Amino acid sequence: MERIEPGEMVRRLIGFIRAEGRFDSVAIENFRKMPGGASREIWSFDCAMQRGGGTTRRAMVLRRDPGAHNISTNRRHEFMVIRAAFEERIPVPEVFWVSEDPAVLGSAFFIMERIDGETLARRLLRDDTYARAREVMPIQLADILAKIHRIDPVKHKLDFLAEPGDNAALTEVKRYEENFRRLALEPHPAFELAFRWLLKRFPKTPRKTLVHGDYRIGNVIFGPEGVRSILDWELAHLGDPMEDVGWMCVRAWRFGNDQKPVGGLGTREDFFRAYEKASGIDVDPEAARFWEVFGNLRWGIITISQARTHIDGFVKSVELASIGRRTAETELELLNLIE
Amino acid sequence: MQDRPTSVELLEAAADFVDSELVPAVQGARQFQARVVANVMRIVAREIKMEDPLVRSEVKALALLLGHEKPHLHGLDDLRKAAASLGEELTSKIRGGEADDGAWRSEVLTVVRQSVEDKLRIANPRYLDSDIAIREAVKE
Repeated sequence: MERIEPGEMVRRLIGFIRAEGRFDSVAIENFRKMPGGASREIWSFDCAMQRGGGTTRRAMVLRRDPGAHNISTNRRHEFMVIRAAFEERIPVPEVFWVSEDPAVLGSAFFIMERIDGETLARRLLRDDTYARAREVMPIQLADILAKIHRIDPVKHKLDFLAEPGDNAALTEVKRYEENFRRLALEPHPAFELAFRWLLKRFPKTPRKTLVHGDYRIGNVIFGPEGVRSILDWELAHLGDPMEDVGWMCVRAWRFGNDQKPVGGLGTREDFFRAYEKASGIDVDPEAARFWEVFGNLRWGIITISQARTHIDGFVKSVELASIGRRTAETELELLNLIE
Repeated sequence: MQDRPTSVELLEAAADFVDSELVPAVQGARQFQARVVANVMRIVAREIKMEDPLVRSEVKALALLLGHEKPHLHGLDDLRKAAASLGEELTSKIRGGEADDGAWRSEVLTVVRQSVEDKLRIANPRYLDSDIAIREAVKE
C-alpha cells in the first residue's frame, strides 16, 4: 500500500468530502490517529463543510484498513449495515461516505460521526462514574439487541450478507474449525472436545435474522448514563439470533467479574428475560448454552489468530503476541462448560 | 556457565522497573502496552522456572492415558517434542469420537484439564486461582 503522510491524507480527504457532498469548500482540523485499533486504523477529525452561504460542522471518524493485513471483511458492507441500523433508530454513529478506491487514501475506508464517550470495559466495571451505567446497561443491551435482530435485510438491500443455509450453527462451527485447523500451531485437545460437544447439540429450531456478530461490552461506547453507541459491525451476517446472546456471555468479557456472566454486568436470567420481552423471541437455555460454548471456542480461536498476526509479521505488536498465551484461559472455561 | 544474576533474576528486575517506574510515567495506550510488557516478562520468568517439571509430568500423563510405555526423556527439547506428538495423537482420537462418552472420556478430561492448568500456571496463575475458587464456591 502507498504510504501517505497525515498532511497528504488531510488534503486528499478534503477533496474526497468536497466531491462526495458537493460542497463549495471543506476544512479539516485536529486530524489525529486514535490509539488502539490494532486491526483497523481509526483517525479522528473535525470537519467544516460549506455550501451556499451555510457551514456545517461535524466531529468525524475515519475507519481505514491498514496496509498489510489479513482482513477479509468489506468496508462498504460494514458501512451499509451501520446505515441500516441508523435508519432503524439503533444507537450507532451516523455514517457519511465510503470508498474502496485505493487512489483516495491507499486502502478502503469509511467516514462516520464521532461519538464521545468511553469504550474501556474495565472502566465500566470498576469506576464509580459508571455506577448508574452498570445498572441500566444489561436492559439497554438486551433492548438494542432485539432491535438489531429485527432489521430487515431485504428492506435495507443487505443482499451481500452470506446466506448460512438451513443450519446456521453448523456453518459457523465449520467456518471457525477451518480457521482453527489452518492457524493453530500446537494440538489443543480442549478445543477438539468442544467441537465434538457442539456437533452433537445444534439448536433445534433456530430463527434466521441479522446477527451483529461481535456484540460485547468492548464494542460499546458508553457514558455515565449508559449506552451511547454500538460499534464494529464488520462481522454482521445472517444467522441464529442466539449467536449474539451467547457471545455476550463469553467469559473474557467479564474481566474477572465472574458472578455476573453477561459482560460482568448482569445474570444470564435477567438478560434473557429482558431480551425476550423486547424481541418476542424465546430464549431456549440450551440454545443459548450452545452459543456460549461456541463463543468461548471462537474467542479462543481468535486469540490464536491474533498471535499469528504477530508471529507471521502482519502487525508486530507485544499486545497481539501476548494474546497467544491467553488461549489457555478459554480452554479452561470450555472444560468447565462441557464437563 | 553464566554469572549471576540468573535469567529469572534479570527478567524480574526488568519487569519490576517497568511496573514501578515506566507504567506510572506514561498514559493511555502506552500505559496499557507497558503493563503488557511487564506481564510478558513475568510469563517468561515463570516459564524458565517451571517448564521442565510441568512438561515432564504432562508427557507422563499423556503416555499413560494413551497406553504407551513410560518414555525415558531427559532434555527439555525432547520433552517438548514428545508432548506435542502425544498431544496430536490425543486430538486425533478425540476427533474420531473416542472421547465422546464412557469411562475414557473422564480420564481424557482429567488429563486435558491438568495440561490446561499447567499452561495457566505459567501464563496467568491468578486466572487459574480465581477459577479454582469459583468452582470450590459452587460445590459448597
